[in-house]
Amino acid sequence: MPENKLYDVVVVGSGAGGGTLSSRLANLGADVLVLEGGPKVDTRSDFNTHALPFQFPFRHIPIMKPGKPGFDSERSRGLGGKTQLWNAVALRFSQRDFKGREHDGAGFDWPFGYAEMAPYYDRVEREVGVCGNYDHLEDLPDGIFLPPVPMKCTDVAIRDGARTLGVPVIHVRKATLSRATATRPACHFCGNCMSGCDVVAKYNSLDVHMLPALKTGKLTLQSNSIVYELAVSDEARVNEVRYFDRETREQRAARGKVVVVACACAQSVALLMMSKSSRFPAGLANSSGELGRNFIPHINAGFEGFLADFVGKQSTNDEGFLDHAYLPSFMHAKKRDYPRSFGVQFGYQNRRSVGWAKNVKGMGKSYKEAIKARYPAYITFTGYQEMTPNPDSYIDLDPTATDEYGLPRARRHWKLSDDDTRLYNDMKKWCRAILEASKTEIVNPDPVPNTNHEIGGCRIGTDPKTSVVNEFCRAHDVPNLYVVDASVFPSASEKNPTLTIMALATRTADHIAQSLQKGEI
Amino acid sequence: MAIYSTDRRSLLKIFGSIGATCAYPFASDELYAQSAPPTEIPVRFFNKTDFATISRIADLIIPETDSPGAVRAGVPEYIDLVIARNTEQQSVVADGLRWLAGQNFMSLNEAAQYAILEPLCEAADAGSSKARNVQFFALIKSLTADGYYTSRSGLIDELSYRGNTPHASFEECKEH
Repeated sequence: MPENKLYDVVVVGSGAGGGTLSSRLANLGADVLVLEGGPKVDTRSDFNTHALPFQFPFRHIPIMKPGKPGFDSERSRGLGGKTQLWNAVALRFSQRDFKGREHDGAGFDWPFGYAEMAPYYDRVEREVGVCGNYDHLEDLPDGIFLPPVPMKCTDVAIRDGARTLGVPVIHVRKATLSRATATRPACHFCGNCMSGCDVVAKYNSLDVHMLPALKTGKLTLQSNSIVYELAVSDEARVNEVRYFDRETREQRAARGKVVVVACACAQSVALLMMSKSSRFPAGLANSSGELGRNFIPHINAGFEGFLADFVGKQSTNDEGFLDHAYLPSFMHAKKRDYPRSFGVQFGYQNRRSVGWAKNVKGMGKSYKEAIKARYPAYITFTGYQEMTPNPDSYIDLDPTATDEYGLPRARRHWKLSDDDTRLYNDMKKWCRAILEASKTEIVNPDPVPNTNHEIGGCRIGTDPKTSVVNEFCRAHDVPNLYVVDASVFPSASEKNPTLTIMALATRTADHIAQSLQKGEI
Repeated sequence: MAIYSTDRRSLLKIFGSIGATCAYPFASDELYAQSAPPTEIPVRFFNKTDFATISRIADLIIPETDSPGAVRAGVPEYIDLVIARNTEQQSVVADGLRWLAGQNFMSLNEAAQYAILEPLCEAADAGSSKARNVQFFALIKSLTADGYYTSRSGLIDELSYRGNTPHASFEECKEH
């Protein structure tokens, strides 16, 4: 790569956001460079997709095959980012999700609603392939679906239990092919989706978006390039993307008319915070002081249990593609003493893992029998709640600790507000009730809150004083800087964020392409 | 650091990203740590006597039935590997083994050995006791279960794990 080349767009990060956006831009004719901190990955051969624990002395199944680097730190995962290991749940946000404040008075609204996003969801679903059932739910809009995959028997048991409480359970919606396309096979249900899908039946941004876009001749993928600073010019524009080689540590710089940060939430915030200058002493694009604030990850209540009807049954192969069902939000439509709502993901256990065995009581023959009997009955059941922003939940840089590259670590601080706690307690209550109605022996009736799906930190807003980026994900302070990942979400929804990241990335790509065409950037 | 723990993070450590949370759990060094290449198997940590005692306890926790028990599944070797790398656990185990030696554990018959361990097991399962010998048993039970059910004998022979195989389609549930 010639060091002095001026690209139209330099994208930092190659996951759901960066991968979708860069391929879209290349297809629209822009000259795009993607900088990925991690190494090049060959999805079809580099992952330990089908390994079993006894092949390793310590019984950990490493993510990568021996000698294959990648996914060893959050700064250097590999091409495709977290989409290589995600579980592919692909849900559209609803109008309520975009306009939560309008709905219940808390948190922030997005400056646009579902109608604006719908065409981008359509486009993404057509590109990646999402299986699902047309359920006609107002709060979980249908998409353009491939046929749904049947529920597992354990899902049917939970669906029937939930039904007695008036709570509907639907087929899961996943960016995993239930039918082959011209270039990708259908899922073969080996159950190891989160160990790298080596046939690419499951969407990942490398194989589905970026590699095909290489044919345009407009896309350059550069791995092993860890970006540590975005330098700005006197006109408050990013004029240099500074990075170093992951292996040699040699420092380099790339230039683009436009720079897009898509490093997966906390790392995007961290990069902007590391990019301090005399103009932006508190971090790039942070004149509002809002950078890092409004951190609203999903809050989980993770249950494990044994379905009584399955205890002692013959062990069957029900791995499938992990979870086959989903329990969508229902509390948003009920009387409650908190804003927002929750949904439940369940039955995503992989039966290579029997980590629960040590917690079963007893020893000896009866202990061994108890585990064998429970093996086909074991299920996971995890409530996902939306939290609303509060001053104690934010991302910042660790003032002292650095990572293996000598860069400051991003810290996540989160604390549940009283509202969040009321929601959490109600979510636990409902989860227990549904599990009991499904005749489940609950292993941990009182799980402590955990987080998943990092969201927030670079909030979209119309007011530059209270938000970091505008409605097109462009930094208020820096006219050629964009952020495209879940950090920009003004509200989190309880639904999995990835499909919305991809739709937003597509919308932002279209906006950038138009701006470049019109010479506005 | 807890001597052993059963929280979700440590399950992640042991079992990879499987069965954790549905999407990729964020930013945990523990999770990334699993991609470290397998370390070479060190020289046996336990001496012959201690290894025999650990083996005996493991086989009492998960005995031979119509499927192999802990010893035949290679569990003691797994325990040895893990303990060799954890000095806190080494001290707990050393105390536990000393205590058992004081009871002449290895010279007792199976029923007597079981009678010594069962109360420890009950206390360990209840999770309430801080007694050193209970902690010792809890640690060995935890490692025995992890080691056994990640072994070929435990996962395939005993539990009949059938995943990791390709299927042209996923069948509609008929039985339930």
